[in-house]
Amino acid sequence: MSEEFEEEFSFSRRSLIIGAAQVGLFGVLIGRLQYLQIAQSDTYATLADANRVNISPVIASRGLISDRHGITLAENDRNLSVVIVPERAVDLALTLNELQRILGLSDGRMSKIKSRIRRMPKFKAITVADNLRWEQFAKLNSQLPFLPGVEPVVGEKRVYTYGAAAAHLIGYVAAKTTKDINQFGDIANDMVGQTGIERSHEEALRGLAGVRQFEVNALGRPVRELSQSPAESGQNLQLTIDVELQKFASERLGKQSASAVVMDVNNGDILCMVSTPSYDPNQLSSGIDAKSWEAMLVHERKPLLNKPLRGLYAPGSTFKMIVALAALEAGVITPNEKIKCSGIHDYANEQYHCWLDEGHGDINLEAALAQSCDVYFYDIAVRTGIDNIEKMARRFGLGQATGIDLSGEKTGIVPGRDWKRANFDAGWRGGETVITGIGQGFLLATPLQLVVMTAALANKGVYVRPRVSAPVAGEAANTDEASKVDLQLSSRHLKLVQSGMYQAVNTADGTAYGSSLLINGQRMVGKTGTSQVRRITMAERETGVVANKDLEWYLRDHALFVGYAPYKNPRYAISVVVEHGGGGAAVAAPIARDIMAHLLSTPERKAKQVTT
Amino acid sequence: MSLFNSGSGREATGPISFNVHWPLVLSVLLLGMAGVLLQYSVAGGDFSPWAWRHAARLMLGLVIMLMIAALDVRTIFSLSYAVYAVVLLMLLGVEFLGVKSMGAQRWLDFGVARVQPSEFIRLGLILALARFYQSVYHSDVSRPINLLIPLLMIGLPCLLIFRQPDLGTMIMLAVTGLSVVFLAGVQRRYFIGGGLAVLAAIPLVWQNMLTYQKERVLVFLDPNRDPLGAGYHIIQSKIGIGSGGLWGKGLVEGTQSRLNFLPEKHTDFIFTIFAEELGFFGSLVLMLLFMLMLFLIFQSARQMKSQYARLVTASIGVSISFYIVVNLAMVMGLAPVVGVPLPLISYGGTSLLTFMVSIGVVLCLERHALTEMSRG
Repeated sequence: MSEEFEEEFSFSRRSLIIGAAQVGLFGVLIGRLQYLQIAQSDTYATLADANRVNISPVIASRGLISDRHGITLAENDRNLSVVIVPERAVDLALTLNELQRILGLSDGRMSKIKSRIRRMPKFKAITVADNLRWEQFAKLNSQLPFLPGVEPVVGEKRVYTYGAAAAHLIGYVAAKTTKDINQFGDIANDMVGQTGIERSHEEALRGLAGVRQFEVNALGRPVRELSQSPAESGQNLQLTIDVELQKFASERLGKQSASAVVMDVNNGDILCMVSTPSYDPNQLSSGIDAKSWEAMLVHERKPLLNKPLRGLYAPGSTFKMIVALAALEAGVITPNEKIKCSGIHDYANEQYHCWLDEGHGDINLEAALAQSCDVYFYDIAVRTGIDNIEKMARRFGLGQATGIDLSGEKTGIVPGRDWKRANFDAGWRGGETVITGIGQGFLLATPLQLVVMTAALANKGVYVRPRVSAPVAGEAANTDEASKVDLQLSSRHLKLVQSGMYQAVNTADGTAYGSSLLINGQRMVGKTGTSQVRRITMAERETGVVANKDLEWYLRDHALFVGYAPYKNPRYAISVVVEHGGGGAAVAAPIARDIMAHLLSTPERKAKQVTT
Repeated sequence: MSLFNSGSGREATGPISFNVHWPLVLSVLLLGMAGVLLQYSVAGGDFSPWAWRHAARLMLGLVIMLMIAALDVRTIFSLSYAVYAVVLLMLLGVEFLGVKSMGAQRWLDFGVARVQPSEFIRLGLILALARFYQSVYHSDVSRPINLLIPLLMIGLPCLLIFRQPDLGTMIMLAVTGLSVVFLAGVQRRYFIGGGLAVLAAIPLVWQNMLTYQKERVLVFLDPNRDPLGAGYHIIQSKIGIGSGGLWGKGLVEGTQSRLNFLPEKHTDFIFTIFAEELGFFGSLVLMLLFMLMLFLIFQSARQMKSQYARLVTASIGVSISFYIVVNLAMVMGLAPVVGVPLPLISYGGTSLLTFMVSIGVVLCLERHALTEMSRG
């Protein structure tokens, strides 16, 4: 029993110790409470009530975008706007009415603002109007004492100096959406890049918002700044684009549904990247009405689509260089071996037509490229086999992203046995090899891929990754090397293909002879392409193929041209695609000639590094 | 003193008797109702979304509490190890499931499942430890084997919770377990030695803490380190409490809470609202009410005849008081922000239920205060 007693005594003693410790702790807490609520009460009351601490972000200036010569493409302008914090308005309805009267806002605008106020938390600032004129802004400021909760804001807005000419490439900024918040987090900035460079370089361009802490009085007016961590402006960005060339190409393409890309074959600099028809990015940035937006979305010429990057086309005859190289490498033809073209190629009980009904007669590789003989390429495609063609196309970057520093690039399609199995659950058919020989069938490529492919042909078989943002000074040499891949092609084979491309533009038999040019002893070489978007039936062949001009616009052929210049010592590669434009020789080649002529005849200005 | 003694000195009067320690029940109810009032005020004078749910849970908790109080004390005694084992298995299940499913989904599942076992394990651990000491003679409690077994019983769930990872809950559990060991009469030199060992281990623990845990401690030491992040809570909470002054701004009138300056205002930071709106006097009344409840629990423990009953009762008291002290110290800027609720006041079903079940056990033991337990 004494042990039981000992136990109870021990418990009593220890529970007393714990109880005492608790009393002590509660004493400390009550002491703390006394200190906060009685001794320091006035200090905290001031902080909480009379002068509340308000915290607001300081928006960073967005980085400027300039072209290779330092000409500004996107800059910031002053934007006068007014916001309201509903919670601080004494009589919200009255304040809104006053605002409507002072600023002359429409009833429709007011009902939008009111619905926004209902949806958002009461302590968040809501924009009532922006892009105000100075007189409006001054009038508002004079009325501020009677408008509790209303705050004038001097901010910035984005201005695109060249407007529609570079709209797709540069993109535009717009008020951030839920999607933006998911991607970038709930950043302080209101405006977020939506497409193009503005989107792909968003994080560098936007900079870092600062924080301003200040005391506000009961009406929410700042009375004293407590602290400020300044905003860090976004980085300025210099592009490889030559905006004069961009503008020229854009005007040359006009209202056609087309794209033109020029690339420096040595370092991958994209000198122009045009998509037409275009839109005014300034309008999209400041907010566009739903009707105009809807109209652009459904327009058959797709003004919102960045065609060089995201348009997919059968490359047509511009693919013949790839087939030729694959055939030469496989050893299935010799350079001077002639194949007879009678206008029709028979394969497995099917007839495949040459674009020239009467046929080209006996024709070798260079002439077949120059005259774009289809029968020659049907024949060598079958001899080479789809596997070799597929491999060669992939070496030139088709069917995969070029890795350009823009987001949203399409990869296109290079068909083959595995691809067919995966996508159609069917085996490859011989007839499909035949039409792949002239760049038709399942093949799809972007204009950007075509220019990169052509650049590699021009640049002695060295593939160079394209870029639109200029490398930072000092890093140029390194990035240049890292972006290059030698495709390991025979220089003899390359020379043959280049010679074919030379003849296509510069000899009387060539398909693009009408677009030849000679500037300071420099010539352009290239290859036309006309890619069919509809199937011509047997019946139609018998009655005569309907001419393009007699067809509905959307049924007409795509016109393509790829080329480079100068022939000796190549410098620039170009690709032009005109959707439903008709023949490559008649429509695309002249555009390429004009752009190239503009480029070659303009005395070259040294790219100027912009100091950032 | 007769008021506080009213529940003791009685023999058990049957399993369904409602002759319980009404003052304790009343103090718990008063605190719970203060919680309902606060939830009403935090919502800007609205019973939704929190107040009516809190009230409903309080009623449910009351029924469960009284049902447990009505149990035969031997049922609880004989189930002591089983309760501990079951909750420990649940904790292991969390560990197992947590490892099995990866990615974002895991975090969600993990979060939901985590709360429950690690809240319930506190009561399970108290019951099991008290059951253990009931079977050990007092002169033997400081023998090595009898030190090792309780430490294992405490360490195992602590390790599992630490791996979740939830440092705050782990420390609360460890302190609860050690308080049982202390009350059981283990020699003091072990506690002094253990305390020194913990001090020595601090650098090691610091190295293994996650970045956000370290940041919480650093921000606690200097709230201005991160005035827009973690330190913001502490600063705003202090402003809220301080601006309440002697009498407070009145219910629903708290400007700090109304302006959404405060995070977690209906859960961990509820006391800030209380102190802002009801002032120093209101806060003092609340704290006295808490102290009264704790006093009643300890008083009951001291009347109990079996080592098991008084260890369970006193340890539950220690556990609850520790929650109160840590929560209040946190909102007043005296402890790091560790995410500990204020018992019976904070919004949250699991924690409210756990506290009320614990009180139910105390009520049951109190009804059988003079019952002796087997020492087997």
